[in-house]
Amino acid sequence: MEAADPDVPPAKGEGLEIPGEQTGPCPTETDGDEPDSVPEELCAIPAEPDSVVEEAGAEPDSVPEDLGTIPAEPPAPQSNGPLSTADGKVDAREELSDKELSDSASTDNVLEDSSEFGPPAVAVGGSGGPAGEEVVVPAVTTHRDEDVTAESWRKRRKHVFVLSEAGKPIYSRYGNEEALSSTMGVMMALVSFIQSGDNAIRSICSDDRKLVFVQQGPLVLVSVSRTLQSEQQLRQELLYVYYQIISMLTQVSITRIFERKKNYDLRRLLAGSEKILDRLLNLVESDPSFLLNAVRCLPLPASLRDSLGALLQKAITSNLVFSILVARSQLVTTVQEKTVIEDCRLEPTDLHLLLNLISATSAFQAGEIWTPICLPRFNPDGYFYAYISYLDAECTVCLILLSTDKESFYSVSDCKKRIEEGMRTQGYLQALSAGGSSQSPSYSVGLVGVPDLRHFMYKPLDIPENYRQLPQFTSPELESPYHSERERHRLFDLYHYLHSRIHSGCRPLRLIYHVAAKETLLAWVTSKFELYTCFSPLVTKAGAINVLTKLLRWIKKEEDRLFIRYPPRYSPTPNPGKSVKGGRSDGAENGFFAGL
Amino acid sequence: MGRMKKPDGKVVLLGDMNVGKTSLLHRYMERRFQDTVSTVGGAFYLKQWGPYNVSIWDTAGREQFHGLGSMYCRGAAAVILTYDVNNVQSLIELEDRFLALTDSASTDCIFAIVGNKVDLTDECALLPETEDESRSKKPITSCITAKAQKQVHVEDAVALYKRILKYKLLDEKDAPAAEKMCFETSAKTGYKVDYLFETVFDMVVPLILQHRAEGLPQTVDISIYKPAKQAKSGCCA
Ligand SMILES: Nc1nc2c(ncn2[C@@H]2O[C@H](COP(=O)(O)OP(=O)(O)O)[C@@H](O)[C@H]2O)c(=O)[nH]1
Ligand SMILES: [Mg+2]
Repeated sequence: MEAADPDVPPAKGEGLEIPGEQTGPCPTETDGDEPDSVPEELCAIPAEPDSVVEEAGAEPDSVPEDLGTIPAEPPAPQSNGPLSTADGKVDAREELSDKELSDSASTDNVLEDSSEFGPPAVAVGGSGGPAGEEVVVPAVTTHRDEDVTAESWRKRRKHVFVLSEAGKPIYSRYGNEEALSSTMGVMMALVSFIQSGDNAIRSICSDDRKLVFVQQGPLVLVSVSRTLQSEQQLRQELLYVYYQIISMLTQVSITRIFERKKNYDLRRLLAGSEKILDRLLNLVESDPSFLLNAVRCLPLPASLRDSLGALLQKAITSNLVFSILVARSQLVTTVQEKTVIEDCRLEPTDLHLLLNLISATSAFQAGEIWTPICLPRFNPDGYFYAYISYLDAECTVCLILLSTDKESFYSVSDCKKRIEEGMRTQGYLQALSAGGSSQSPSYSVGLVGVPDLRHFMYKPLDIPENYRQLPQFTSPELESPYHSERERHRLFDLYHYLHSRIHSGCRPLRLIYHVAAKETLLAWVTSKFELYTCFSPLVTKAGAINVLTKLLRWIKKEEDRLFIRYPPRYSPTPNPGKSVKGGRSDGAENGFFAGL
Repeated sequence: MGRMKKPDGKVVLLGDMNVGKTSLLHRYMERRFQDTVSTVGGAFYLKQWGPYNVSIWDTAGREQFHGLGSMYCRGAAAVILTYDVNNVQSLIELEDRFLALTDSASTDCIFAIVGNKVDLTDECALLPETEDESRSKKPITSCITAKAQKQVHVEDAVALYKRILKYKLLDEKDAPAAEKMCFETSAKTGYKVDYLFETVFDMVVPLILQHRAEGLPQTVDISIYKPAKQAKSGCCA
């Protein structure tokens, strides 16, 4: 508690104006050069430099490109417009990874096979002719049909575009990509103009908007945002979009596709996946999982969680590597194959993307899904085969089993039967579906028993590393006044803002006491946890600190219920085989473009 | 592990994305039409048909890309090739991209060709709506769509059916008649959906019995089918 700075003047309210004002006079990428502009109403204590370093190390999920490319110096002098660019290093980095990729591109026939879906190879049947270029546009979806010339389109809070290096539209969050092809053409022109000067465009800031550009291999992603998110956060969101695309196609195949045909229309392969990206973009704005890069667990008695873990542990078959049990989009437990876990753990990002893909996918309980899926953070170039099945009629309890063998559907399906049987006989299923009575099964903040506390997000950082535990967090349901989307956006804007200050590349803070118009927030990061809290606006600083103490005590008391403490693992399967990650040949081994 | 109730026959739905495969199955299994979301990979269902367990694979339409097509089709007793009657390309794709996937199906596999979404064509005024609930549940947007002239006619499907028999080296006399095996449906209104599946299932039953009599391995015995990796190189040509 000693961190609270007593001599900061009392807040003036309307804290949100400040970041806007700051970017006003200095529209370029400014993380690096405004050490003097701590807003008055922030009680801000900079972290010691070395603890910052520690933290960066302890957080393997932060995307290296991001951290790596924050310009060490202020933006280069030649970029005197509102364009901000990084130095040429970005491109060098890209080239490097591209080269790695093509090195790892194992065999030629793999490459050959990838042509099967391309128009030239398809024409063999001898009827269609050039019609292969035609794109199947999904019938009627709400946002797709939006008029892109309308004012309402322009007023959207956040647009996201994905295009290919050739300037071909791949995805637009609102409106039909076809109608936007000239807009995307302009974006690509911008990107290549800066590129021609051996540089890379990063962002453009205007009074009320940020444009952020991310290039990943042959894809260019652009965010046009009116939110208060930092450039870094927007960049992270774009990376989530990129990873979601990778999760369906793999990085290596996208690279190869564009190597063969620069102006390939990737929508041919993504047709039908727009809803998955739409859903993702709605989630990243309002689900702390993405902001905190951590997994939210379903609160459960530890004994029940352990029994469920044991059940998963028993029902295995060769080539099974992850068993994941989810109830109402929250993690119940996961079990990993031992040798795999020694290589690498499951990343929160991969789990978020997997769950998003599943939720955006049609399912009725009778069906069992078998699909190739890539976990981009685990290995961007290889496929797993995911078995997905709902265990209850309401489709709230979902079992996901990941295998490396594409032929193993029936044996994996048999594992599910054993798990289901076990859960039924022990009555676990009822316990899970009854675990929370409401739709979103979290818990009420009222449980903490302190009236001024409205909401919080708590992410423990002191997880024993030898357990290779998933980063987790806990957060209560959003209650009044955060029921409307508008209010929710306001709250998450504030959270995003605090998060960006805490994680600022050049001037990270450890404690922020922030008085906003309709609430007061306190963010605090230590070596043990990262905590964001939201109070009613009338709370005093002393009162807030008092609440924190009580909250931390409550979390300590509940921690066995709120978090997975000791994740179970499989013993090596009868056929431990090769390690899943890393090996060059694995892509092919793993069924990548298999069927050869 | 004998725990699994072994499916007796396998039916696979193939066809381009968005032609309505999932909607057809949904209509048949769940008796309703809802705006389905996209299918990833394949979805496996079991349907009790008399004393038999028929397994059904609904696929995503990207099978060539992932190379899973042959796995879904392996040993299939029937393949339902689906196109959208308002989209010529979707019929062409059946021949160009999907037919080759059926190489791993059972040699006596039955083929059905289904033109879906007839409710969107101008002919649909004549069609009886079997169930009305879908109307009220659907957002109005989809009803506004002006009825269009049908793009693909049954004759085109019949011609394709005959080419398929040729491709499979089957004599027209030995195979079910083209007129019987080409369907036009609407998953939205339910038009001819039951008829489609019931016809196919009825035709699968004799195959099941025959396979049993011959003691052929059933579709799911994967231990027998650890396939040689290069088994089907010509797959999508
Ligand atoms: N009007 C109409 N729309 C349909 C029909 N069947 C499917 N659709 C719509 O077509 C789109 C694609 O359907 P879906 O079943 O997902 O196609 P799949 O990709 O082949 O599984 C969805 O928006 C459906 O609502 C139909 O019979 N009539
Ligand atoms: Mg489908």
